[in-house]
Amino acid sequence: MDGVSYQRFPRIKIREVKHDYMKFELRDTDSSIANALRRIMIAEVPTIAIDLVEIEVNSSVLNDEFISHRLGLIPLTSERAMSMRFSRDCDACDGDGQCEYCSVEFYLRVKCLSDQTLDVTSKDLLSSDHTVVPVDYSDGLDNATNKGIIIVKLRRGQELRLRAIARKGIGKDHAKWSPAATVTFMYEPEIYINEDMMESLTLEEKQELVDSSPTKVFAIDPENKQVIVVDPEAYTYDDEVLKKAEAMGKPGLVEIHAKEDSFIFTVETTGAVKASQLVLNAIEVLKQKLDAVRLSDDTVEADDQFGELGAHMRGG
Amino acid sequence: MSDETDSLSRGIDKQYLASPIKNPVDKYQLIPEFLKVRGLVKQHLDSFNYFVKTEINKIVRANNEIRSTRDPSIYLRYRDVRIGEPSMIYDGVTEKLSPQKCRLSSLTYAAPIYVTVDYTSTMRGKKQESTEKDVVIGRMPIMLRSCSCVLYGKDEEQLAKLGECPLDPGGYFVVNGTEKAMGMESDQEVVQMLGRDPRFSALLLPSIEECANLKVYTQHQALEFLESDKMLNVFSYFSGPVEKGARALSILRDILLANVPVHQHNFRKKCIYVAVMMRRMMEAILNKDTMDDKDYVGNKRLELSGQILSLLFEDLFKTMNAESKREFDASPSARYILYCIKKYNRITSELGRTLSTGNWDVKRFGMHKKGVTDVVARLSYIGTLGNMTKIKPQFEKSRKVSGPRALQPSQFGMLCPCDTPEGEACGLVKNLALMTHVTTDEDERPIISLCYYLGVEDLELLSAEELHVPSSYLIVLNGLMLGKHKSLQRFANAMRKLRRAGKIGEFVSIFVNKKQRCVYIASDGGRVCRPLVIADKGVSRIKELHMKELRDGVCDFNSFLKDGLIEYLDVNEENSLIALYEKEATPETTHIEIEPFTILGVCASLIPYPHHNQSPRNTYQCAMGSGQNATVAVMSYSGYDIEDAIVMNKSSLDRGFGRCIVMKKYTAICQKYDSCTSDRIIKPQRQGYEADRMQILDDDEIAAPGEIIRRHDIYINKESPIVTRWIPGTSPTVLPDTAYKPSRQTYQGTEGELAVVDRVALHSDENNNLSIKFMIRDTRRPEIGDKFSSRHGQKGVCGTIVQ
Repeated sequence: MDGVSYQRFPRIKIREVKHDYMKFELRDTDSSIANALRRIMIAEVPTIAIDLVEIEVNSSVLNDEFISHRLGLIPLTSERAMSMRFSRDCDACDGDGQCEYCSVEFYLRVKCLSDQTLDVTSKDLLSSDHTVVPVDYSDGLDNATNKGIIIVKLRRGQELRLRAIARKGIGKDHAKWSPAATVTFMYEPEIYINEDMMESLTLEEKQELVDSSPTKVFAIDPENKQVIVVDPEAYTYDDEVLKKAEAMGKPGLVEIHAKEDSFIFTVETTGAVKASQLVLNAIEVLKQKLDAVRLSDDTVEADDQFGELGAHMRGG
Repeated sequence: MSDETDSLSRGIDKQYLASPIKNPVDKYQLIPEFLKVRGLVKQHLDSFNYFVKTEINKIVRANNEIRSTRDPSIYLRYRDVRIGEPSMIYDGVTEKLSPQKCRLSSLTYAAPIYVTVDYTSTMRGKKQESTEKDVVIGRMPIMLRSCSCVLYGKDEEQLAKLGECPLDPGGYFVVNGTEKAMGMESDQEVVQMLGRDPRFSALLLPSIEECANLKVYTQHQALEFLESDKMLNVFSYFSGPVEKGARALSILRDILLANVPVHQHNFRKKCIYVAVMMRRMMEAILNKDTMDDKDYVGNKRLELSGQILSLLFEDLFKTMNAESKREFDASPSARYILYCIKKYNRITSELGRTLSTGNWDVKRFGMHKKGVTDVVARLSYIGTLGNMTKIKPQFEKSRKVSGPRALQPSQFGMLCPCDTPEGEACGLVKNLALMTHVTTDEDERPIISLCYYLGVEDLELLSAEELHVPSSYLIVLNGLMLGKHKSLQRFANAMRKLRRAGKIGEFVSIFVNKKQRCVYIASDGGRVCRPLVIADKGVSRIKELHMKELRDGVCDFNSFLKDGLIEYLDVNEENSLIALYEKEATPETTHIEIEPFTILGVCASLIPYPHHNQSPRNTYQCAMGSGQNATVAVMSYSGYDIEDAIVMNKSSLDRGFGRCIVMKKYTAICQKYDSCTSDRIIKPQRQGYEADRMQILDDDEIAAPGEIIRRHDIYINKESPIVTRWIPGTSPTVLPDTAYKPSRQTYQGTEGELAVVDRVALHSDENNNLSIKFMIRDTRRPEIGDKFSSRHGQKGVCGTIVQ
């Protein structure tokens, strides 16, 4: 407790960003932070999803609960979600969850009048708020083939009429509120090749070593016939190369360590929020969570107890 | 074909010619074709169709006359019998029935049995013959998808219109709204002579001595001895001729070995039969190898619903006739008897009762069976199919014997080696394999005359000495000795050729038993058989071009059968040389298996890579006819996974994994009482303390479809009159409200479950009371304690659900 600071300054380097996909490096932090970030992205970043369905007419083949469940799973664009209220702590509507601050209303009115089977899709959902609409998966090029998410199929004479209320929620409560499709991170591997030992190998042996890895991590330089690392991140921590090296009687030929403070994240979203936004929102949520445990100002005495950490938690 | 031209163009390539055929004909496609043609419950349908088309006619023809004992010129005769369309009479109007309607309104899916009756009527003192057509003697429950069913031959759209699933296999009955399948009963039947071997005479000596001691030397003395109290008191009910000796003779004629016909008091055939039986017995004493194995599947017969039903019907029909005859003796008017027959409803009620309880009591034949019918398992489609192929033994399960429970080599390809329950009924209850067919009876007469044409020497013409000459073979048809034939192989080949050409039934089996020097021909019902590819000197008759035709839809499974590429073999005839694969065939091979996996039954066929499993795992899996398939990742989790428990991911459950919908039927009946009063349904209270429980009631006083129903909710607000007995002297009046007490029905579901009223159906039941059916639907999500399994008999309960 002699004033050692544990504060670190994590850095993010973005490698690739698409609408619903993002790959970035997170450096200079612990795995606890990386995992917290991952878990928050999956379960605690709020989105909007249909939560209450009032069915007026349903003569389709699927029953009411079934359709309601399917409606709930449709991702809705949720840029507004962070600024919305949870309907359980909404003051404007006594928590019955039907006001503009905490809910969005949807209508679906479809009837099949032709002999052809009619697909009821997420595009048939009419929203009361133009910012909260079902995610559009069509790439804008061919709308004919991409018709949205199918809810139910109707045959001639069948009808579906309903009102749905979408609310803010988090993935912890129900997976339908999870904005993430997949969020993964890996430790960045550090691969050392012992050049001296490598020299003692024949070309065939080198090739064998290269081929022993199930993923394409190593290659042989076509010019100087040296084993080189082509893609360290392709390594899946499978130890196959290490086992091979040992089997060849050359332990230590290749050494692989996980860099414990560098992480490579892959984030894919459902489209409810942009991938980049998801990361920002997750950081925001993480900050809010930390705020919740942050010691209040009147417990400065705790400084004695926590030292530097106490100040840190107060935002010092 | 192309290979051939290739090799020709390359010149003669010896190595190529010597190499084995690279691609043996892929016969896999035959299986879907087989199932398309036959389905998996065809044995039930065939059996029932045979009963409806043939057997019932035989029964009625055999008992077709009721004649008055008082005046033998008055009679009543059944001429023709047929089963009509499934229908019921409701308020005097005949209404057609569909199976779905029966399920919903708790009716029996049955069709009237029509007979044409000729009877003597007396017109102004003159006797004359009258005919009445379409007299209904009862209602026969109809097997779904049989030839008498409305679903027969309907296409998908028509089935949908009738509210029927196009994939449903049928083969069961609907009795009082519940689906009842009749299992197969296995029956043992060992149908199987004397020479001058000195060992035989030694065995016979004691019998001859006994005859001498009893002073029985002549035929007459023997008959008298048989008639003495000691021997024949068992037959006390026997009502035959009463002269001395004739009674025993008639018993010998009609009861002893009834399968052997006696023409004009010619007992020779029977004598020979008894002689052959004794010889076999003695052979068995001398040499244990000649004993018949009673567990051998070839010695077993399966009894299907048609046969079981026909026995019951025969009994009921005879009872009806006997009762009618009693009436006849009391009142000699045939018209009155006809009236009695029309009114007679025991056939209907007994058939229905027997099917719904499964207790088979046919006193005439001394049959008392329990559990003949089962409720169709509807947990999953495969479970239902598995249920339809189940075979139950007739004898008691409590027998602590291992013999019948063991896997019999003769079961190969006929009965599934995996699918049997664990515990008590293990090995006794079996299941049919995929391609097994159960035969129905076939007319023997054409086969008999064919055999004689083919050179079978009639037994009558043979001396006792000739019976056992080793150079000739005994020809036995369904346990009846036809005669002898000199050239065994020629006869068997000729018969088989005739079968392959379709001149005799495809299911007739020709089995050569060299040890017993017999050729057994079987055309009886209840044998199990399966199709196999015929091979000539080890070369399969099915060539690639045949399979191509099949794939192109030019021909189907039946045309393969007709063209003599495939034939059905029963267990006895299966003792020919069958190669598993074409490449393994040798010149001696006579048949080639279609596909090896057809040895398995319906449930076992669903196991991926069953040959990589420990064998009991396959058996366990067969007991679980499970539903949804899922891709899963396996992990261990902090003790919640021990003892086969499963850890589940909450997100996957949120997304709908393992969700299931349970439907339950609740019935409310508006009973009518003797006092001309009835239950009434009253308007729900919209205010007051009970209004809460009556929320789901519509203004028509009945729960509305689509309403969420909770525990203790009232789904019908019914009241019953307090006094329901009829008090003499009172007239039916409108009762005041105070004369009613509430008899509402409340939902007793589990707390916290989301149940919804799915459908409400109103109809009148058999007593003309208004009956209201509520279908209540309950969507369930997997929770801790629910059972899950892989497809390899690895079941476990959900131990925890991880966030």
